Amino acid sequence: MKLAPDQKLDLREVLDNLQQYRPRRTGWAWRTRVPHHQVGPFVLEDTAEELRRSVPLPAAHAVGNIDPQCDCVITTEIASGRFEDDLRRMRMAAWHGADHIMVIRTTGQSHIDGLIEGTPEGVGGIPITRKQLRATRKALDAIEDEVGRPINFHSYVSGVAGPEIAVLFAEEGVNGAHQDPQYNVLYRGINMHRSFVDAAEAKRIIADAGILQLDGAHNANATAKEAWKVTPELFVQHAINTAYSRAVGMPPELIALSTVPPTAPPAPKLRLDLPYAVALREVFRGYRFRAQQNTRYVEADTVEATVTHVLDTVLSRLTSADIQSTITPDEGRNVPWHYNNVAGVNTARQTLMGLDGVMQLLELKQTGPLREQVRELKERAVLFLEEMVERGGYYAAVAAGQFVDSGFFPARAGDGIVRDPAAGDGAGTVVLRASDYGAPVCSHFGDNVYAGGVGKPCDAYGGCTLCDPSKIQYVDELDPEDSVERRLQGPLAERAAGVVRPEVERHGDGVVCVTVFVPASPRVAEAAALAMARRMGLQAPEVISRRLMHPAEGSVFEIKGVLDVAVRLHELALPAPEEPLGDTEIEAWVRPRRLAVVAATVGEDEHSVGLHEILDVKHGGIEKYGFDCQDLGTSVPVERVLDVAVQRGACAVLISTIVTHARVHEAHMRRLHALAVERGVRDRLVLVAGGTQVTDELARACGMEAGFGRGTTGRAVASFLVRALRRRDETAAGDHPTPTPTGGGR
Amino acid sequence: MRCVERPDDFASRRATLRALSDEELHARFWALVERLVQPLIAEARTHTTPSIERSVLLRMGFSSSEAAALVRRMQERNLLGQGAGRLVLELARRTGLSVRAAGAALVEGRYWEEIGR
Repeated sequence: MKLAPDQKLDLREVLDNLQQYRPRRTGWAWRTRVPHHQVGPFVLEDTAEELRRSVPLPAAHAVGNIDPQCDCVITTEIASGRFEDDLRRMRMAAWHGADHIMVIRTTGQSHIDGLIEGTPEGVGGIPITRKQLRATRKALDAIEDEVGRPINFHSYVSGVAGPEIAVLFAEEGVNGAHQDPQYNVLYRGINMHRSFVDAAEAKRIIADAGILQLDGAHNANATAKEAWKVTPELFVQHAINTAYSRAVGMPPELIALSTVPPTAPPAPKLRLDLPYAVALREVFRGYRFRAQQNTRYVEADTVEATVTHVLDTVLSRLTSADIQSTITPDEGRNVPWHYNNVAGVNTARQTLMGLDGVMQLLELKQTGPLREQVRELKERAVLFLEEMVERGGYYAAVAAGQFVDSGFFPARAGDGIVRDPAAGDGAGTVVLRASDYGAPVCSHFGDNVYAGGVGKPCDAYGGCTLCDPSKIQYVDELDPEDSVERRLQGPLAERAAGVVRPEVERHGDGVVCVTVFVPASPRVAEAAALAMARRMGLQAPEVISRRLMHPAEGSVFEIKGVLDVAVRLHELALPAPEEPLGDTEIEAWVRPRRLAVVAATVGEDEHSVGLHEILDVKHGGIEKYGFDCQDLGTSVPVERVLDVAVQRGACAVLISTIVTHARVHEAHMRRLHALAVERGVRDRLVLVAGGTQVTDELARACGMEAGFGRGTTGRAVASFLVRALRRRDETAAGDHPTPTPTGGGR
Repeated sequence: MRCVERPDDFASRRATLRALSDEELHARFWALVERLVQPLIAEARTHTTPSIERSVLLRMGFSSSEAAALVRRMQERNLLGQGAGRLVLELARRTGLSVRAAGAALVEGRYWEEIGR
């Protein structure tokens, strides 16, 4: 399967022939570091190889559209409930630098004792099934070819079917997995004996498959009332899972700690979170770190979330991170939307590039409060472990509510999570192995009559599925009514008919978001904002963010709603984009003619940068083609521009107009045109306007030949001038009217 | 069970740890962790679960529904302690059937009197 950047992902092709699909590689992929990496005008220190295709950061346009990539893997978490929609989101995220796609499982899958098959729809995530894994891995194969970097696919080996899920992941080329029995025990109410016995088998399987394991300790941050007070316990949770994994035979390079800076401003975030991050990296030297961003204190304001996530990412650079995970800025208010996955990835990408090489300039102080706090946290963690041992071990400690207590250990608030070792989902299902117990398969943990001999345990019957994948039993669908085929009927028919709708999460969901400031007290303002949204035609409008500006002066609201509008693409009037002429052709035409051009920023306007970009040879401006340019500078009256143009016998006038207050930019354009007509020179001059708020349509409506907006290059302007002047020459003998204002603008 | 409530007595508790170097403190940390993990791993080594046994059958080439049916019946007959995979493989050996055919026969309800002891 091959993707073309200008073609949408073909879901039919993804779903075609999945019974034959085999993953083309297994195991986790890190980025390839490139030290002292020359990218555009910069030498970068903490970078990896660039992508073949990507969307650079917005400011990249000023530095040659470079898109350097940081050295750590960037994660995005996807959870729409429909994998067929998630695949498109994965592709978008990959173009922005994500190479770790974490797929959240549907609510309740932890409690299903066995595997699910087919492609049923999920809630808050997708049901992890073999078909869904294959479709996703197959699409990711094509996406990684498109962007030119391996993409890690990740999901969860938890719940009461951990060993089976682990087999599934090993067979289907999943690259990363959460596996931590403590998560089952503390948050899923699953029996602790069952969780730990299952975990040993699951860990053995994922270790042999080269799957990177993440633990679940970060969940204590997300659930504790005061997340910064559970830090001593987090050392313990990380350590239990790490030591248990090592005992099963997992190598340290496959063990990653999932860690979150626990606080958010107005807490003194870095002062609290940095000692914790340093202490953790010292105690767990030799293991990998997946730095997650804070979710505990993320509210509805996406800007606030983003600032917290930037600070989290700064902390990663001040310490270390092998994986920088991202949280979508809208996680506090809804199931993440497509473009917010991209926003989250870009927050990490932009921050990490901004911090490139900073540790060559800085070091953390080795005396004073940092070291004292690091030491204190480690001692508190050791005391936590001592109390567990005194109590009689892990199970007894959980039963006594020692975990997720909001007291800063050894302080205790008495509000810990209490679980009974004899109770919970799957209680009583753990069975003692008989002396002749056997499991004739690879990647099995524990006593086994088939292990330890010569050859593999599965030799007796020609190999297990891990050795011979052709033995895997592929089940397509169990319930055709609840399947991807059924769900795709409507969307694919619409796509074939060339119909598009707004979308944030699922195909054509119609959801849009509007921002409304209402100058009234909060309660009144909110009711008014909703009324306005309804008047805009939004169905089921809902306030998803409210920010008080002032109790009396007003509040700003973000409102989501469904806009039931289907646009037929073939009915859109799209002027064909005109390809600019080539450099050689432009220069060959311009240079011998010695064409004069007069330019200025008009009105009361001191902006000069935009016009320089268009004129100056150093910026690739039109001078380089041989135009004789005279730049009159800034705040020049329109009259003077025209005077000089006439004196010099210029063929064209370029005006720049950035200030738009009271639509003064439109007035300047109209005035220039009117004045040129009045003086009888309009036919001799090509009039062009540029500016951040100028569009071609607007400029033409104001009497110009063309308008150019943000991102315009000198070549585009030169190309236009050549074409316009050629047309004028060609029709010079004929009876040609001058362009007249067409109305439309005000 | 009522959880313990306690003020922060870290200042007095840390007395025993103060003399340790950072490296010694790390060693103490990991030694305690090992002590806590040992009984957990010993239990895993000597016990099994329905999910482990289904995962073994998956690896032997059975579908998820076949694995579920086989393990459910073995559980009802208290046979899981011998290992679902071993029971199927031994039946295949005795009958001359392939592993998949032996499992399918069990799913159909045949041979149950022959497996186990």
